[in-house]
Parts: sequence; structure tokens; C-alpha cells
Amino acid sequence: MSRFAELLDDFFFRPDEDVSGLQDFAAGSDGVASAAPEEVPEEYLSFRLEGEAYAVPIRAVREISKVPPLTEIPRAEPHLLGVMNLRGELLPAYDIKVRLGLAERAPLVAGPDAPVPPRDARILVLRTETGPAGVWVDTVSGVVKLKPSMLEPPPPGLRRGDKDCVVGIGRRGPSLYILLDPEQALAP
Amino acid sequence: MSPPSKALAEFVAEATEILEALGKDLLVLDERRGHEADPDRVNGIFRAAHSLKGLAGLFGQERISRLAHGTEDLLDRLRLGKLHLNDAVLDTLIEALDAFQALLAETARGTETDGLTRRADGMAERLGRLGEVSVALDEDPLERLELDAQVRSVFTEYEEHRLRENVRKGVSMWRVRAAFDLSDFDMGLADLNTRLKPLGEVISTLPSAQPGGAHGIAFDLIFGTQVSMPELESGLKGTPAELARLAVRPATTRSAEALARATESPAIVLGTLGVASAPEASTGTSPPTKRGVRAAVEGGTHQPLLPLASERSDTEQGETGASAHGVPGLDSESDEEHAPSAKGPSLVTYLQGPGGRAPALAATPPGASQAGAGAASSSSASAEPSLRSLTQTVRVDIGKLDGLINMVGELLLIKASLQRLAESARQDGVVPLSKLFGQELARETRGLERKLEALQEGLLEARMVPVGQVFDKLARLVRRITREAGKEIDFVIGGGEVELDKLIVEELSDPLMHLIRNAIDHGVESPDTRLAAGKPRRAVVSLRAEQKGNHVVIQVSDDGAGIDELRVREVALTRGLITHAQAEEMGRRELLNLIFLPGFSTARSVSELSGRGVGLDVVKNNLGNLSGIIDVWSERGKGTAFHLTLPVTLAIIRALVVGVSARTYAVPLNSVLEILSVQPREIRTMERREVLDVRGQTLPFVRLARLFGLPERPVSRYFVVVVGLAQERLGIAVDELHGQQDIVTKPLGGRLQSVRGISGATDLGNRRPVLVLDVAALLEEGLALERRRA
Repeated sequence: MSRFAELLDDFFFRPDEDVSGLQDFAAGSDGVASAAPEEVPEEYLSFRLEGEAYAVPIRAVREISKVPPLTEIPRAEPHLLGVMNLRGELLPAYDIKVRLGLAERAPLVAGPDAPVPPRDARILVLRTETGPAGVWVDTVSGVVKLKPSMLEPPPPGLRRGDKDCVVGIGRRGPSLYILLDPEQALAP
Repeated sequence: MSPPSKALAEFVAEATEILEALGKDLLVLDERRGHEADPDRVNGIFRAAHSLKGLAGLFGQERISRLAHGTEDLLDRLRLGKLHLNDAVLDTLIEALDAFQALLAETARGTETDGLTRRADGMAERLGRLGEVSVALDEDPLERLELDAQVRSVFTEYEEHRLRENVRKGVSMWRVRAAFDLSDFDMGLADLNTRLKPLGEVISTLPSAQPGGAHGIAFDLIFGTQVSMPELESGLKGTPAELARLAVRPATTRSAEALARATESPAIVLGTLGVASAPEASTGTSPPTKRGVRAAVEGGTHQPLLPLASERSDTEQGETGASAHGVPGLDSESDEEHAPSAKGPSLVTYLQGPGGRAPALAATPPGASQAGAGAASSSSASAEPSLRSLTQTVRVDIGKLDGLINMVGELLLIKASLQRLAESARQDGVVPLSKLFGQELARETRGLERKLEALQEGLLEARMVPVGQVFDKLARLVRRITREAGKEIDFVIGGGEVELDKLIVEELSDPLMHLIRNAIDHGVESPDTRLAAGKPRRAVVSLRAEQKGNHVVIQVSDDGAGIDELRVREVALTRGLITHAQAEEMGRRELLNLIFLPGFSTARSVSELSGRGVGLDVVKNNLGNLSGIIDVWSERGKGTAFHLTLPVTLAIIRALVVGVSARTYAVPLNSVLEILSVQPREIRTMERREVLDVRGQTLPFVRLARLFGLPERPVSRYFVVVVGLAQERLGIAVDELHGQQDIVTKPLGGRLQSVRGISGATDLGNRRPVLVLDVAALLEEGLALERRRA
């Protein structure tokens, strides 16, 4: 039953849905429907960091929050931006730009000298094995559905450092998404 | 592992309470080993087991229900006198309690393991087999009591048993008849009962056959007492009680006569000595074996002694002890009476542990004793269960809850007034607000503040539980550890009534258990070593709690060998925990404190008890999580004491809000001793570390900004917050003081547990988390810093 609902779910249009595939389908011949077994797409949340498009499995995302006031933790590891108060819950917020080689050092976003956070910046609250953790992203782009056939292994050039958090590339139409393993991205 | 359902959680909560009560009663019986058990207590334990059985049945907990049934059955036979409470029985009951706790722990987790099921069923079977021997008496002493057959027929089995016991012991029986008015007879009866209780035993309360007047009701209380008639009369002065002595016929047959004499005489002796309940009068409670009866018949003047021997024949020492006395009854009685610890045979059995108790077990069928030994070894081999409660429930007095509800009601009233004010302000629109309006608003705000404070206080109070809850559990554990370790120990508990937050009490159980294990295993010497050192054979391990202001100090101490600081130094050096140079600098106190370092243990052999790789560093960490600290005192040959200093509550604390480099931090006020204003030039350096001179004393001192690596700003003067826990003092320099505030601390938890110097964060009303300083950790860091520099 639930599988049936899942299948049906694919027919619903969502405003944020990428429908380019549908147009491709409409343009092509309607006579040659593929006989290949249907693939179950997985949903990813895509976001941008320094202009690059990244995505994490949506199961790993608990919620998306605007950037609340952050408090820096003295003597903490450098990628810990600070702690935030999310409806009474105390959550750590991390930077992953340094890990991904997008920045030299974590941005100053907590403490008395921090500037007002950019309007589009968000904190993704991710579920991790050691509890929820926030991750700073520059903007949230939306949800993308990626079928297994759209996934590629990470190109060798993307591998960086010993802790590799890039698990693959998602290709959907003209867009590319760098797929991240949240657990690895947040590892100390 | 699915979370247990609500119904199951309730079951666990209630069963835990029952087991706690049961454990307490058993402990009392255990402490009074060798004395006659208080029938009320045995009855109480019986009722607890019965409730547990019913409760378990109701929730479909068959394993617990089966075991409870076995326990109830055994206790029923005990309270009816069909079974004598000896060491073997008591040990089995205590083991059964452990089994209950293990079962309940599994239930709470929602699991069920075969091993435990087998253990529980084996235990239930053993309970059923225990002491099957029951010897019928030649003549029921009850027959000798002149009582209406009609009255007798209404007695329950238990009442009949108590009556029989009293008659056999030669206690004089009274019928206390009292008539009360129908309107308040319950109060009158309760009053009568409370007056009678201290004088003797109320065996039964029956409605009297005599009418109690037109608007009255009369009762006959069957009462057994050792006190004299005038004493009884004066005790009952002011009540409508009429006394009538129930005559006891002398025994008829020759053997029964001898028996009666044998059993009655000690009681009479004691009666004249004015002792209310004679421990050895219990001789009669054990159904005399054939040998005992024969001995009583054949015996001459030593008659009272011989049943005593027969009763003790379940312990070999008992027999030899009693026959070795070979003195008239009076001497042996008084001997037993005031010097149970001197050479009492039963005590030796208690202390020698499983080996010493083997003869006691021999009284039960051999199969049972084997099963017992098996169960004991398997239970000791399994990991020590945590003493934490299985439930998160707190019992709250309904009066307190009512008070809280009332406060909420008043808060709602204030809310209504504020709403009205807001409404009027909105309607007035741009018209400037009047002064009156401002005053009214201020008044309501003050009221709100007061009520909120009261509500907070009330809620905190509801969270408080006496530390005795944990102490009782530990006492039970001590008994077992002592036995396993082969030591002789008196365990002294004090201050169990001191209250702490439920959360802290729960978290305390494991560290305390560890410290007590250490004291028994490493601290206390073996009895022979003690004697050789000129100390009393029995060691004292004590556990005391005491409230000191906003803190509770718990002390775990022993009078054992103490800690050898030179050996501590040697170990620390060989393990590379300190360098030779550091060791040279260290005083005795600092050397002692090395035992809290991770990976330290002075025990030469890893024992089953405490050498499990979990050291005092874990204890220290656990306490640190509770914002507490631990301190050790020890003197070689005299003993060791650990002092645990803990805050009374963690839920809401008053904090000092301070500012450093434009950051805000909160310092729990309960550890702030004073605040000093210090000019930079007053800071002095001693051997390259900064100190302050406060009233002639040197105070170690850290600048928070420097410690936390924050950009330091030049200031004209520092505020130095002097924090202290136990004897440690540290000055923490900050830039600004922002005042005091009540805060609710949220732990950093999860991913941030390794952060040093911060215990959590709070919210001061602007959504920005404010970090709360971990004073205990900072103290340690500040002082360690000092040591390293030294």
C-alpha cells in the first residue's frame, strides 16, 4: 500500500520540482516507452556553498532554519562555528567549507564581532549518529529527485584530503550536484 | 529496543517502589540477624510480595508474578510460624530481591533473556523447597487459652498463629474491651491502638458480643503484653477500655508440660528482667524438632537451653556454642542479650561469608544448596547491575501539587490584568500613556515576578528526593560485597534525609557504589591484619550526607589502611603520569590527588570487585557532570575519606552574569565565594604565574579572556570572581559584571561533550545562547596550570 502511495506520489507536481525531464519526455516519441524496470528516485536537498551546488539525502535533514544568533565556544575545534538555540534546543553549528576546500578558514559568524548573516544563509539541521548538528549553507536551492542512474562516482579531481565526504555526483538535466555524506562532512 | 508503553512504565514505577520497601524491610531483618524477627515486619514483607504478585499478574509479567508467588508463599509460611527465619532463608530472600530487580530491569528495557528466566524460575523453586520440615506440636497451646470457641473461630490463620506464639512464650493475654460512640468510633479505636502498640501486640480486633449502648459499638481487642496490670492501666488511662485477663490453663500431658516449661521459662526470666522482647524467647517459635522435644523431656535444669541448641542445630557453630556455654538459662540469655558481637555464634556465620554459611545451607536439601551456590556464583559473575532507578518518576505530595496549581491560578489572574492593560493601551492609541498606567503595569509585573519565583521554588522542591533512597540500595550491596571480599564490616549510614535533586541522586548511585567498593576491597584490611595492627576486628565503612549551604557534601570513609602516597608516587612515575621533577615538587595532598588521573590503580592484583579498569577518573568525571567535585583525605593506618561536594539542584540555578571581551558568560552563584575589584597593578607574579594577595593569602588567578583565547582588551580594573568548591579556590578575572539571574542550564551534550570549561548554555531572553562556566573544571584547570608552571 505504502509502495503504491509512493508510486502515486511521483505524479504530483510540486512547485519546486524539476520538470525538465517531463518536457524531454513530451518532446520525444510517445510510442517507445522504456521497458526497463522503473527506478525509485531518491530525494536530495540541494544547497549552495560559495556558488557550488551540493546535495545531501533529504532523510538526513531534520529541518532548515534561518541563522539564529550564534555563540562561539571557546577553545573548540575550528570548524565549530558556535552553538545556537533552536526552540529551546541547544545545537552546534558547523562550517564545512574548509573541509570542502572552498575557504581557507571558517567565516566569522558568531561572537560580538560577527556581521549580520546574509539574508539567504540557512542552517541545515542534520541528523547524525551523535545527535543533531547544524551546518551553515549560503542558500537552500530546493529538493531534487535523483534516480540511481543519475548518480556517478566522484571524479578523481574532486577527492580532497583524507576524510572524503564527497560520495558522488548527481546529474539531472543540465544541473550537477555534488553529493555529500553528512556524517563524513561533520567528522572532527 | 522499543520504548516501553505508558502502562508498562507505570508498572515498572510501582514495582520499583514495592521492591524498595521490600528491600528496606529485608535490610532491617538482615541487620538484626540472630534476634527474633519483628512479626509486623515479616507481615509487611509478605504483603509487599503479595502486592507485587498481583501487580505483575495484572500487567502480564509472568516471570515476576511466578517469582513473587514463590516469595509470597515462603513469607506466608514464615509469618504463620511454619518456617523459622534462619540465615539460609534470609539469604534466599535477599537473593530473590536481586532477581526481582534484574527481572524488572529487563522489563523496563522491553527484553527477556532465557538466562534470567531460568534463574528466576530456579529461585522460585528453591523458595518453595526451603524449610519443608514442619513438625506438628504435641498439643496446640491455643487450647490452653480460655477463649470462647465462637471467638476463636473468627480468627484468621495469622492471628491464630500470633496468639499461639504469645501463649507459648508465656506472654499474658488480655481482652481489652472498649465501647465507643458510633459517630467517632474509628478515631477512638485508632487512639486505643496507638496506646497499646508500644506496650505489646494487638493480635486481633473483634466486634464485641456485648452491645455498646444505644448509639455505640464495642470492640474486643485481644492483646498480648509483658507489662504488668498497673502499667497497662496507666497506659490506657482516658480511654473507655476495660481490661480482662485471659486465663491460660497449664499444659496437660507430661511432655507438653515440660515443653511449656522449657519454652516459657526464658520468657519469664526475661519478663522479670524487664526486657520487652527477648531474642531467645524465639526458641519457641521454631517448631522444636523431635530431638528438641525429647531433650526437653529428659533434661533437668538446663531445659531452656536445649531447645535453643536444637534451634541452632542448623548452624554447627550454634550447637557447639550453646553446649559450650553449658550454663543456666539466665547467663546464656544475658550473654546473648548484650554482647551479640563478642562471640555470638550466629554472627560468625554471618561474617565468614559463603564458606561459613555452608553448614547453614546443609539444613536444606542438598540439591537446593547446590542450586543456591550455583545461583550465587552466576549472579556474582554477571556484571554488577547499576543502582540507578528504572523509572524517572518522582513521588510528589499532593499538597505540594495543590500549591503549584494555586500559583498557576494566580498567574492566570495576573495575565488577565496585563491583558486588560494592553487592551486599554491599544484603545488609547497615540494618547501618551498616563503615569497611573505605568504604575499599574509595574505593579502587575512585580506580582508576576513574585508568583513566578514561588512557582519555580515549588517545582524545584517537588524534584527533591532524600539521598537515603540511594543509601538504602547501597547498604544492600555492601552486604554482598563484604561477603565476597571476606571482610568484616560495619556499614554506617548518616544523613539519609538530606534532599537533593532527583537527577543528581540518580547520577550519584554509580560513583558512590564505586567508592564503596574501593573502600571495602582496597581500603579495609582483612580481619587478621586488622587485629595484628591493633585495630578492632570489624572495620567501619561509613556513608554520610550533610547539607552545607547550597551544597551537599557526601562522605565515603573507611578506617582501613589508608592510601600509601609513596606507592601512589611510584605508580604515577612508572606509568609516566608525572615526571620525576614534578614528583619532587608535589606535596602529600597533591600526590594523593594523582589517584584521580585516568589509568591509575594501585591495586597490585586485579580483583573481581573493583579492578575492572574503571577507575576513580570515571567517578571524578561523573561528578564533574553534576557540577560536583571530589576530594580525598587519607592517613596511613587510619583510613581514607572521599568528600563529594554537590550542588543541591541542577534544574534552575542562580547565576552571576559576567562579561569578558564583549562576550557574556554565566557563573553558577552557588560556587561564587566573593567578588573583588582588582587594579592590574595588584596582580603579582610568583614564579611566572599570576596570583592575587587577598587578605594575606595567595589566591591562584586566571584571566578568563586569556584562558579562553579571546582578544584581551585593556581595562582599568578587573572584577575577580572568586570561586570555590571544597577547599579549592580560584580567582577568575572578568571585564564586567552584569548582575544575577535565574537560569536553566541546558547541557551541551551530543557532539560537544569534549568542550572544556563549559557546562552548558542558557538563554537570558534574547535568543542568543549564553555559555555557563563549569566551575569545577575551571578550578581544576587553573590549579593544574599552576602546578605545571611550578
